[in-house]
Amino acid sequence: MKIFTSLKLLFLASVLLATACPSSATVATHPSSGEKLAAQQVFTYRMGAEPPSIDPQLVEDVEGSAVARDLFEGLLTQKADGSLAPGVAERWELNPAKTIYTFHLRKNARWSNGEPVTAHDFVYAWRRAVDPKLASPYAGYLELTTLKNVSAVIRGEMPTTALGVSAIDDYTLQAELDAPLAYFPTMLVHSTTMPTPQKVIEQYGDSWSRPNHLVGNGAYVLTEHVLNERMVRVRNPLYWNNQNTILDKVIGLIIDDESQAYNRYQANELDKTEVPTGQFKRLQKERPAETFSSPRLCSYYYMFNLDKAPFDDQRVRQALSYAIDRDIITNNILGAGQIPAYTFTPGSTANFSVPEVALASMSRNDRIKTAKALLAEAGFGPSRPLKTTIFYNTSEGHKKIAIAISQMWKQRLGVQVTLQNQEWKTFLSTRGAGDFEIARGAWCGDYNEASTFLDLMRSGSDQNDMRYKNARIDQLLAEAKTLADPNPNYAQIEQIVATEAPIIPIYHYTGVMLLKPYVKGWPHQNVEANWYSREMYITEH
Amino acid sequence: MLSFILRRLAIAIPTILLIITLSFVLMHAAPGGPFSAERNLPPEVLANIEQRYGLDKPLYQQIFVYVSGIVTEFDFGPSFKYKNQSVNDLIASGFPVTLVYGFWSFVCASVLGISLGVIAALKHNSWLDYAATGSAILGSVLPNFVMAPLLVLLFTVYLNWLPGGGWEGGQIQFIIMPVIALATSYLAGITRITRSSMLEVLGSNFIRSARAKGLPAHHIILRHALKPALLPVLTSLGLSFVGMITGSVVIDQYFSTGGIGQHFVNAALNRDYSVIMGVTILVGSLTILFNLLVEILYAWIDPRIRY
Amino acid sequence: MLLNPKKIQQLAQNLASLPPDENSSELKGRSLWQLARARFARNRAAMISLIALLLIVIFSIVGSSLSPWDHEQIDWDAMADVPMLGAPSIQSRHYFGTDDLGRDLYARVIQGSQISLMVGLIGSLIAVVVGTLYGATAGYLGGRIDALMMRSVDILLAIPFMFVLILLMVMFGRSIYMIFIGIGLLSWLDMSRIIRGQTLSLKNREFIEAARAIGVRPLTIITRHIIPNVLGIVVVYATLLVPGMIMTESFISFLGLGVQEPQTSWGALINEGARSIQNGTLWQLLFPLAFFIVTLLSFYFIGDGLRDALDPKDQ
Repeated sequence: MKIFTSLKLLFLASVLLATACPSSATVATHPSSGEKLAAQQVFTYRMGAEPPSIDPQLVEDVEGSAVARDLFEGLLTQKADGSLAPGVAERWELNPAKTIYTFHLRKNARWSNGEPVTAHDFVYAWRRAVDPKLASPYAGYLELTTLKNVSAVIRGEMPTTALGVSAIDDYTLQAELDAPLAYFPTMLVHSTTMPTPQKVIEQYGDSWSRPNHLVGNGAYVLTEHVLNERMVRVRNPLYWNNQNTILDKVIGLIIDDESQAYNRYQANELDKTEVPTGQFKRLQKERPAETFSSPRLCSYYYMFNLDKAPFDDQRVRQALSYAIDRDIITNNILGAGQIPAYTFTPGSTANFSVPEVALASMSRNDRIKTAKALLAEAGFGPSRPLKTTIFYNTSEGHKKIAIAISQMWKQRLGVQVTLQNQEWKTFLSTRGAGDFEIARGAWCGDYNEASTFLDLMRSGSDQNDMRYKNARIDQLLAEAKTLADPNPNYAQIEQIVATEAPIIPIYHYTGVMLLKPYVKGWPHQNVEANWYSREMYITEH
Repeated sequence: MLSFILRRLAIAIPTILLIITLSFVLMHAAPGGPFSAERNLPPEVLANIEQRYGLDKPLYQQIFVYVSGIVTEFDFGPSFKYKNQSVNDLIASGFPVTLVYGFWSFVCASVLGISLGVIAALKHNSWLDYAATGSAILGSVLPNFVMAPLLVLLFTVYLNWLPGGGWEGGQIQFIIMPVIALATSYLAGITRITRSSMLEVLGSNFIRSARAKGLPAHHIILRHALKPALLPVLTSLGLSFVGMITGSVVIDQYFSTGGIGQHFVNAALNRDYSVIMGVTILVGSLTILFNLLVEILYAWIDPRIRY
Repeated sequence: MLLNPKKIQQLAQNLASLPPDENSSELKGRSLWQLARARFARNRAAMISLIALLLIVIFSIVGSSLSPWDHEQIDWDAMADVPMLGAPSIQSRHYFGTDDLGRDLYARVIQGSQISLMVGLIGSLIAVVVGTLYGATAGYLGGRIDALMMRSVDILLAIPFMFVLILLMVMFGRSIYMIFIGIGLLSWLDMSRIIRGQTLSLKNREFIEAARAIGVRPLTIITRHIIPNVLGIVVVYATLLVPGMIMTESFISFLGLGVQEPQTSWGALINEGARSIQNGTLWQLLFPLAFFIVTLLSFYFIGDGLRDALDPKDQ
């Protein structure tokens, strides 16, 4: 029985290979670079976890987004450097009031069942994303776009048809916003806004995203999905740009443990994996051509609970921030090119330049001296040491950083720190309820614009666990939405945050990976790590 | 005996109901919910989600809806974390996997463990005793999460004999390492309980008299000693069997087998309520079933045991 | 029935052996223990293990005085290049090297030993006392009480234990004692099953029936006749539980209930070390693992030695 199934699989595999070969045989060299291409265009990569969903409107994690980007195509996509590229929309216009976007869709886009992709598919998908019945965790994403009536629809006060999106005709889509939003097109790369096939979803219900049901409009179709084991997608011959797609097959293997993934990379079972924590320096020496580190749109920080004394005192917060050596953390603990952070928004964010804050340029001695003075001013010293607890969720990395920081505070300022790790959900509940003094936090941008970070500093933001309130910041943020160049506003906000220190920025993330030298076309410069399999190819090796 | 079995099966139903209720209350009382994440959801979005999954209803209603779903349609609900999968899907895809590697681990561990234990007992306090117990122990002292990477380094990275993970429908090369890792962790226990129990039986008078009568050694061991010696081994095997066929989180995650072992810890960590309940009920029923089986075997091993 | 001849034979033999057994445990109890001690002392593997275990205990108490480092202090220099500067060396006085943060592993292993040994010992003690009494009582009393007691064990084995631990933390906050409560809640369950099985078989033996016939109270029968006869398996099983408990501790601490940084335990150290297999810092795994393995082996052989020593039939 078992032998029989494996034989069957073998047979299937050979059939697949046979059908895949002609297409790659015709492109023996890469059309633009002229590199010799491998006969087998198969890319195998590690997925860190089984994605909660690959349904575009329900996708909530990185792995799911990567799959969705291959199986579906939104209005806009990204080039390797992260700049916008046409997807299903060939071009768009904006009305003078800057509130109505009109997208003109390409006429040759088709679903993998042969039907044309029309503006109605987008209308359906966007309405679906905010439909209370679907209850997508990412419905909030569309709220950020300020599409007309979006909040009322989510709250169930208006029907989904009231959402500010409509199909003028089959190939013209109109989106109406409540207020101008300069970065609206940028936000349309996200999978939440990708089209989905109404008929298929209505036919199969929740199981529509299974391999034999799923119909997409992307460059690949899903052929196999074994829960917690693997996901396989092969090229979609009906994709409008199929002739320029080189990679035939993409296999995602779900491997939870990063060092196990590295083992399998070494055994050539994987073409791409993440560098295991703490091994970057060594691997960079051993495999310089395969080790990559590139900035990501993510920040790691510690937050204060401003409702709790003495952390309502700006001097205490500043002192603690000043006493942390970010470079020790980035160089010695993380050691994979992470960037020491003195401001919240990463410097890699599009059109954003990191403002100069005082802390960043001070010498270590000056910083420690200032910190001591500030703490003394606030009334803490050897006779009355500051006592506090750092909360973090259990993880090797968070633990190391918390230990290092607690030792820095202890040795330099005489602060008595208790470390308190908690299991993830307990931690979230503790932090959300404000039962903490200092807690770890991390934030990744939803889209490539500084507001996705700075909005956390807004009074009453859902993410503002610091309970930080500053009317000036609220005002600057509101203004920035409509400004042609919002950067001066952002810089001002960063300055206020640096002074008032509701958070201690610690570092900006990098993505660290191992990639076999024969895998080409990976968008290393894309800070959101939005990679598309159709852009990649395997050279002869 | 039949009435005993029927009685026990009848008790099983309220037992499982109690397990369901207790687990329900416990997991809802624990802080954090299935939808809490680094990114706090806007309240209106959270409200929609809770409504969709029925979390806005009072707890007793949720339990009632849940139990009636199981009774009427054998439907264990949708997973809260994996949006397009039901608990039935997750178990249907994962349980066959753990069943296969768990079963083989069980066979390997019990055959090897009982043999080593018997040998050790027969050659009590000789070098053979130490060698047998020692080798069984050596396999077990390495925690799973150390054993698994060592196996992969040896068989995958250096020798290149076996794939480092995956399942691919359960072909033999994917089963070997999970079985070694899982079986060895149970081996020392089985060996040592067998040894100890066998020693006890061998020292008892009826064996001594059998020996005195000059019956051949293998006859004594197989016909008289082994069966009574297996009684405590059996209890421990019954517990281990359920443990093995429901897999191990380390093995499922490390070898990417796709088994259900990982759900026991992960579903709880994710607060994936329906999956927690699904695997809890699975383990609960299996525990009850195999306890019953063990007790039936008790009566076979030792006819004096009556229920 | 086919089994009858054997049963009669057994009956006869057991009855024959009954009087001396009874006497020895009732009247000459002391000499039995002395005998056991003498037998234990003759068992070489067990004696070596006992010495090894004692050495580890002594080391965990006095070892820290031999090192200038404590378990939480970061050696910032070593931290900069752990694979080189954090390696074990007499010169840097990091005898076991350092962990990834440049903290002295020697001091941390000592500190972890204290916690893990305590967890292992107290955990198995709870398992032995509670599990044995519970299992023996259920098995001996039988009937409805047995059913009720054992179904409770089934329920406790099935419910998601993690939430019990999390709720303990929410209610009582974090403390080292919560580990013992957490482990204590779990460790006796399997033990009680095994002892109950043994009791079921024992209680129909002639000497128990005889005791019952002359009106000995159930509690006395359990403590005087049943428990001494299951002691061998109890000891062996208790030592089997030790590694599991040491590892369970690290899971409990993972949830946020037990040991917190900068305190550590063997489980935590081995967990951290397991990541270093390919990291060029193998000492981070080897030292704590060595302590763990030696302790386990010692427990195992001491357990087997105790079993042999306590077995009255063994010569």
